[in-house]
Order: sequence, then C-alpha cells, then structure tokens
Amino acid sequence: MSYLVDPANWEWLFAGNNLRFLLQGFAINLQIAILAMVLSLVAGLGLALLRVSRWAWVKAVTGTWIDVWRNLPLIFIMLYLSLSIPESWRTAYQDLIPAWLPDAFDSPFFPAAVAALTLYNSAVIAEIMRAGIQSLEKGQGEAAAALGLSYWKSMRLVILPQGLRRMVPATVSQLITLNKDTTLVSIIAIQEALRHSRIITSTSGSPFLGVGVDAPLLHVFLVTGLLFVAVNFALSRLSRRLEVRERERSGIAVERVTGIEDQLDTA
Amino acid sequence: MSGLWEVLVRHFPQFLSGFVVTIQLVAAAFVVAVVLGVVVAGLRVQPLAPLRLAGTIYVEFFRNIPLLVLLFIAFAGLRRAGLDISRFAAGAGSLGLYTAAYVAEAIRSGVFAVGQGQIDAALSLGFTYPRTLRMIVLPQAIRTVIPPLGNLMIAMIKNSAIIGVALALADDLLKEARVINSRTFQTNEVFFWAAVGYLILTVGTTFVVRYLERRLVIRR
Repeated sequence: MSYLVDPANWEWLFAGNNLRFLLQGFAINLQIAILAMVLSLVAGLGLALLRVSRWAWVKAVTGTWIDVWRNLPLIFIMLYLSLSIPESWRTAYQDLIPAWLPDAFDSPFFPAAVAALTLYNSAVIAEIMRAGIQSLEKGQGEAAAALGLSYWKSMRLVILPQGLRRMVPATVSQLITLNKDTTLVSIIAIQEALRHSRIITSTSGSPFLGVGVDAPLLHVFLVTGLLFVAVNFALSRLSRRLEVRERERSGIAVERVTGIEDQLDTA
Repeated sequence: MSGLWEVLVRHFPQFLSGFVVTIQLVAAAFVVAVVLGVVVAGLRVQPLAPLRLAGTIYVEFFRNIPLLVLLFIAFAGLRRAGLDISRFAAGAGSLGLYTAAYVAEAIRSGVFAVGQGQIDAALSLGFTYPRTLRMIVLPQAIRTVIPPLGNLMIAMIKNSAIIGVALALADDLLKEARVINSRTFQTNEVFFWAAVGYLILTVGTTFVVRYLERRLVIRR
C-alpha cells in the first residue's frame, strides 16, 4: 500500500509531457470507439431488421451470421483480420488516407481494427435490437397493419420507436464494452492509450524530454484505467438518466428485456 | 480443402492443449468471479452505508475498466511492485475480478427479484439479516441468475482470449493458433480451426444454459 501512495511514485504524472502523451493516446481510443459505435449501431439495426424479415431464408442466413460473430472472441476477429489482409491493401490504404483525418486513421491496421470492432459489436447489438422488436406485443404490429400502414411504415413509425427505446440500457452497456475493447487494438500495433502508457513506463519519464522520473507501471496503468472508468461511468449515468426521464414521461416502467442492466438504488 | 484438414491433423496436439488451457482459465476465473461476486452483491444490499459504498465502488471500477488494463496492472504492475504473482494466477485472477463485478450485479438483480415481502417475513420470524440473506434470499436469487451467469460464462470464454496474446500469460487457444500460424502461414486454415474451438465452447455453453434454465426455473 505504501508503494501505491508513495508521492515519489506519482511524480511522473506531471513530469515532462507524460500526462499530455497519455491523453493523446486516450483520444485515439475515443476516436476509434466513436467511429466503431456509429458503424455498429447502423449495421446492427440493418442486421436486426433482416433478422425479423418475413422471408425464412433471410432470417436463417442473418441468424447464422449474427451467431457466428457474436460467439467469437473480438480479439480473435481482430487478429485474424490484421493477419489476413494483404500487405498491398494496407499500403493502398495508407496512400489513400487523407492527412486531415485524426491520428488514429494513420495506422495500416486501422481498417482491420474498425472492421473487427464493427463485425463483433453489430452482431451483439443486432441481437439486442431484435429482442427489443420481438418483445413488443403482437397487437402493435397488427394494429398498424389494420390502420393500413405498409410493412416499412409500421416498422418505422410503430415498432422501432417502441422496441428500440426499451433496449437503450442494454445497448449502452454494449457501447461501454466497445469503448473498453478499443484497448485491444494495441495488440495489433496501433498506437493508443495502452501503448503510450508502456512508452511512458519504459522510458522512465517523459518520452520526449527524458526527465528521468521513474514511472512505475502499476501507477501509469492505474491512471489509464481510471480514464476509461471515468468515461464509461459517465456513459452509464447518462443512459440511466435517459431511462428515468423516459419512465417519468411515459408514466410507466420501461420494460427491460435482456442484458445485465444496473439498477439504481432508488429504483 | 485438403489443406484445411491437414492443418488440423498436423497440429492437433497444439490445438487441443490450447483448448484445454482456455477451459482451465475460464474455470478458474469463474470460481473467482462467483465467490467474489456473491460477496460484493452481499455488500451492495447491506443496511450499512459504508459497506454498500465499498460494493458500489468495486462494481463501478471493475465494470468500467478495460480487461487489458487490468491484466497489465495484475501481472507487470504487481511484479514490478515486488509481488511474485504467477502468470496463470494473474490472467485467471484478472478475468475473475473483472467478471465478478458483473456477477455481483446479476445477483443483486436476482436478490431484488425475491421481493421485500419475503425478507420482511424472515426478519419478523427472528432471522438475523445475514441469515435472511443466506437462507431465504440467496437460494432463490441464485436460480434467477442462472441465465445471466451463463451469459457471463460465454463472455469469459471470449475474454479469456486476451490473456494469451496480450501479455503471454497463458498458452490458450488463440495463442496457440498464433504460434501455429507464425510457423505455417496458413492463416485461414489455422484461424478456421481456432474459431471452431471457440464456437464449440460458446455455443455449447449456450445450450447447457438453456437446458439448466428449463430445469431450474422457478415458476411464480
């Protein structure tokens, strides 16, 4: 314990450029996370709609696709894509990528990382959304049809707004998981928070100024971890606030279907 | 297609040992996660505020921190701090600590599902609070949490793949696949079989959980 709280072991934090370097790495994680979140939500919705399609074969094919990707480890998918994408594609990507895009996009492995995050998370999110859609009473769809709404219109105006709203907590949980999983891209050699943390510890002090202050690995990674905890905690609070507001607005408890949702003490 | 089978036959012992190590990691981590999860869930429903706070802090910290960061802290960090922790213990322990936060939340939801009426009834019969938890609430809650526990088991199987490739803490299935791949360069074939291995574990667990769910569910 004294090792942990010894002020000498915390000096690195404000020495040289350390803190800035760490935050720069963390910013890359956030950029990757935001891109992958948007792609996964869009792809997840598309997959969920295919999954509840009227054609049995579309259902079956989508179901298999979803089950395969969500049952494989994300790091497995990421490693496979990074190893199997031909080098010519990687150089082509690097030539293609415009300079004004954020730093995270520069790595030749960036497309593999985002593709893996999207493949995995879109499958999980599709399953969450499907559960939301199918949790609606059958009468909702029947009433919409009786009113003369077409399939797509009843989806868009009746089913999805209600079905997806129920799944907000589970979806946000998955987005938090996605945010944590952006650290896995360090394994396929993309510079981000974890790689920056290791650089700080291994140069014992600032990577640029060489201030010579010892940076213990335990302490550096604790700070990196707390950065993630802060962002993810804020995300989960936000989702809970949305949920409580929704409950107050609609006057009834928002029904939850799956997912390990955290319950408020006051709930 | 012949190349596919050839890879499996030639490297079967390695695939198998990786498969077994993955199971060992998950099994060890599962024990840690359930034991610790029950303790933390117990803390979170205590009438004493400081104990509740400790439980909340545990859950929010371990649920929101990336597992990979935890692995670095548990292995490299503690080693440099002078604590001689074994590779396997660091890997399985981190996975267990991480998952325990989710287990605690699952159990807590289960505890709430039991209902205040039963707790009040037990207390009015003269049961102490810990005794009420142990004899009335937990036996029922544990059944309710079988499905979420199953999902967590599947998540653990998937998360265990990080342990080997990130810090070389164990020679699990993905690590072995990477080693075989670096020798043969038959990436598609090697990863195909590793995928089969993982799918056997995750999809298999899904079926076991569905079966248990049907057997054990409490009908109210």
